Order: sequence, then structure tokens, then C-alpha cells
Amino acid sequence: MNKTAYNILRVGLGITFLWIGIIILKEPEAWGSYIQNWVVELLPLPIKDIMISTAILDIIIGFLLLIDTWVWIAAIVGALHLVVVLVVSGITEITVRDLGIMAGMFALFAQTLPQSIIQKFKRKPTPLAP
Amino acid sequence: MTALTLLFTLASIGISETVYLIRTREKAELPVCPIGEGCAVVLTSRWSKILIIPNDVMGFLAYIAIAFMSALLLIEVEPTALFSLALKILVGFASLASIFFTYLQARVIRAWCFWCLMSACTIWLMGLIIIFSKTI
Repeated sequence: MNKTAYNILRVGLGITFLWIGIIILKEPEAWGSYIQNWVVELLPLPIKDIMISTAILDIIIGFLLLIDTWVWIAAIVGALHLVVVLVVSGITEITVRDLGIMAGMFALFAQTLPQSIIQKFKRKPTPLAP
Repeated sequence: MTALTLLFTLASIGISETVYLIRTREKAELPVCPIGEGCAVVLTSRWSKILIIPNDVMGFLAYIAIAFMSALLLIEVEPTALFSLALKILVGFASLASIFFTYLQARVIRAWCFWCLMSACTIWLMGLIIIFSKTI
């Protein structure tokens, strides 16, 4: 990915995560109402506490993206977080946009994943039989 | 809410920009200068520090404070009147500092730095938002 494109994507997604975290902190229960009933019944904590935790996670992810630190960790956590959001609230006219944000986070993850980790998962060539 | 959203977004862009400048300075690298060629001249001049604190660090702290206060105002954490006043004072002071730094580039250093001008425009835009906003 082009460096400029990477920085625009990183900062844009960082601001999005930071701001959504702050908006959720403002009205955690209202945001909790998007969660489907079958999920609410499974939750071990009150919905307000879950949403406040979510908001804090979003703010941490956003800040890490913004300061260009541990981007690959922030990106994969953010992408998986969005997978969970889509599962627990379903794909609605509001959450459909999360698909795009999730794709952006996966793109950032793919771009910033350290080479040392990539090498671990690369298949080593099998030596030829004599 | 729109004004606070804009302030927060601009402050976030400022945080990202100042972190980039701090990183490149610490690595003793020259920043990429997207427009013009004066970034290195300005950022390595004797005016790049006030006393012992580099301007990029001052900017970073100012943007963090602005983002933090915008967020607190949106969540309506008390005392909102105090946060609102502090935000106005900080943006006002930063606007004046930006005028001074722009003057230095034009008249003293005689070189233009893209990142410094971008930061100045960000701060002035924040000032305009506060002036025209009815909610802050």
C-alpha cells in the first residue's frame, strides 16, 4: 500500500474509533439497545458495563492508530471487534457501514503485520529426496 | 455536537501530525515535505524550540488537551462551563502562537514548512468553529 494511502486510512479509522468510543460513553444504554435479545440473555454483566468497556476499547484502538503505534495489534483487535458487533447486532441499515470499516481494519492489519510473524506462518520448502 | 465533533476531528489530525514530527525528529530524520522544500529549514531552525521544549511536543500536548476537553464537553462531564472556558482560552492562545510562528516563517526564517502551516490552519479553523458555534 502507498504510504500516503496508508496514513489517510490509519488516521481516518483512528478518528472514527476514538469518536465512536466517546459517543458510546455519552449514552451507553442507548447504544446497548442495538444488541439483539438473544445476546443480552448471554451477557454476564449489565449492558451498561459492557458498552462502557466497548467504548474504552474503541478509544484505545483509535488512539493507537492515531499515534501509529502497535497498528497491527490495534487493527486486528478492531477488525475482530467489528466482527463481534456485526454478529451481536446483525447487519442493519446502520451497521452495514461497519463492513467497510472492518475491511479497512483488515487492510491496515495486512499492511502492518511484522515480517517476523509472517515468516512463522510461511510454509518452509520441503527438502528434495536424494 | 457538530462543532465538538469537528474540534475533536481536527485535534485528532493534529495529534497524528505532531506524533509524526516528534518521531522523525527523534530518529534524526527529515520529514517528508509534501509541498515546497522548506520543512527541514524551518524544523531545524533555532525557532523550533521555545526554551527547551520542542514546538512539536507543545503542539502535541495542546491537541491532546483540546481533544480531551471536546470529549468531556460532549459527554457533558461537569463542570462544563469551566471546560468550555479552558477550551476557548487554549484555542485562542494556540491561534496567537500560530500567528507568531507563521510570521517567523515569513519574515525571520524565510522558508515555509508544510506541516507548520497545516498545524496553523488546523488551529485557526478550530478558532473559527468556536467563534461561530452556539453550543461551545
